[in-house]
Amino acid sequence: MNGALKVEDGAIVVTDLSKRYGSGARAVMALDHVTLSIPKGTVFGLLGPNGAGKTTLIKVLTGISDITSGHATVAGFDVERQSMDVRSRIGWVAAEVILDDDFTAWENLWLQAKLQDLRGWEERADQLLTYFELKDRKNDKVSHYSTGMRKKLEIALALLHQPVVIFMDEPTIGLDVGTRRMLWDIVTGIHKEFGVTVLLTTHYIEEADALCDRIAIIDLGKIIVEGTPSELKARVKGDIVQLEASGTLDSAMLRALPGVQEVRAQGNDWMIRVASSETFLPRLLATIPGDRIRRINVEKPSLETVFLDLTGRRIGQEEPMRDIRKFYMQMARSRR
Amino acid sequence: MRSQFWGLYVREILRTFRNPFVLLITVVQPFMWLAFFGSGFGGFSSLLAPVLGTSNYIEFLLPGVLSTSMLSVGMFGSMSTIQDKRFGFMKRILITPTSKGLVFLAKAFGSATRGLVQIPVMIAAATAFGVPFDLTPLEWAVWVLALLFIAVGFSSMFLAITASSTDWQTPGVVANFITMPLMFSSAALYPSSSFPEWMKVISTYNPISYSATFGRNLLLHGTIDWTLLGYMFVFAAAMSTIGWFVSSRWFRVE
Repeated sequence: MNGALKVEDGAIVVTDLSKRYGSGARAVMALDHVTLSIPKGTVFGLLGPNGAGKTTLIKVLTGISDITSGHATVAGFDVERQSMDVRSRIGWVAAEVILDDDFTAWENLWLQAKLQDLRGWEERADQLLTYFELKDRKNDKVSHYSTGMRKKLEIALALLHQPVVIFMDEPTIGLDVGTRRMLWDIVTGIHKEFGVTVLLTTHYIEEADALCDRIAIIDLGKIIVEGTPSELKARVKGDIVQLEASGTLDSAMLRALPGVQEVRAQGNDWMIRVASSETFLPRLLATIPGDRIRRINVEKPSLETVFLDLTGRRIGQEEPMRDIRKFYMQMARSRR
Repeated sequence: MRSQFWGLYVREILRTFRNPFVLLITVVQPFMWLAFFGSGFGGFSSLLAPVLGTSNYIEFLLPGVLSTSMLSVGMFGSMSTIQDKRFGFMKRILITPTSKGLVFLAKAFGSATRGLVQIPVMIAAATAFGVPFDLTPLEWAVWVLALLFIAVGFSSMFLAITASSTDWQTPGVVANFITMPLMFSSAALYPSSSFPEWMKVISTYNPISYSATFGRNLLLHGTIDWTLLGYMFVFAAAMSTIGWFVSSRWFRVE
């Protein structure tokens, strides 16, 4: 991890930051002693499942939520004590597009300029509208815009005051494939064009992989690993073979097969890490009768396997089912 | 700070004028009081003339209804604040160097200004009901100023009470809870001279009574009561200070 970054060199420096919601027995640690440094000029991805603490971290860094303990600076200013300085140097793009629908694009930009206390903003606004290909629609009410155009305008608002950092909270959630691709191009484009640092959260692995220079994987309020996408993928040595057995399997026998590095089981679901799935699978099928196996799934190193490897879960999967009765109740309910 | 206030204030005003339905409701509500309550109760005008100071009940009622309608604009201010919270727009505002206190102030003045839109419509309606207006420009100006003070005071009160809420229903509940007692315990609809002692006490400290009496003194006797105007200024200043403090501290963003 790159925790030694100085405050003045980092766009965002977070030290031992915790955020607790509620108190007593019902308290939830949304962020649990998070330490993170994001150098200026990077596109940094915060990857994790729903409820991992990604949005909470953005809320804390943008001053919307207060800090329970620890310390954070953005653009060299203390998030708590110099909140106004921070807020004049950051832009924010919400998961759901938030614009004033009664207003035109130009009026939305005007309001943003007023809120940021900008003078001579018109030229910059014009440039942004040209860049995002919205100029000929600038006097249309934004309620008449398509989703893609609304998203573009929202990013233009975030860039109007030439911020140091842009926060993008799940920027592509709920978008169709075409618009998502367009947004990816925009993120890469604005990073190059305007030199802005981007912190984006996502639970889409391919998004983090495609866009980010560095990634931190967050789960249950903790940063579990951080690095460049290739560094992270290099952590997972070998392939992961997932088996669903139709009966009991002998774990010692699986371990004895050549190339097996690790064997984990949860009920009839097995996770076996092997040096090469290509050589492992023929041997497995030669050892175990085919009717004992219901399903086989092979995964090559990816950010998904990094998460799977570290947490035993997939990013899209909720917490492991601890109570079997709860599991059956949920199943019964979903059948109704 | 001025820039942020101006931006948010103009947004409030523009949003009102682009939403004809809100505008219509704002104007129609006090008009109904004047038309239905005024006409219905006005039948007793000849009996009540010595107490009312005029034989036209609408003339007596107008300053009162204008005052109570400033009470209801606070509800619209709260509703638009909660809408901004629910749609996430409040986050868009607050992730800029804009303080919560300033958001409050822009909302309070925005909804107060919206309330003032009712004045010309009500004056026109009252003229149609035969109320004579022979006020000097100064008298008009102080009357509008008095109503502005009352409107700012009540909008601030509403916004302070609902600062920590994000529930659509809260402004309605608060309005029901506040409006009725304040309206009926004031001199807005009838003279307070015949009130029982305990109600007289409430009426004396009720800002709606100041505003109704102030308007009546202007309209019926052509006198400007500077002391009452002073009271109303103090009410507006106190409520907006309290609102600023409460919003800075307890305002919930989402």
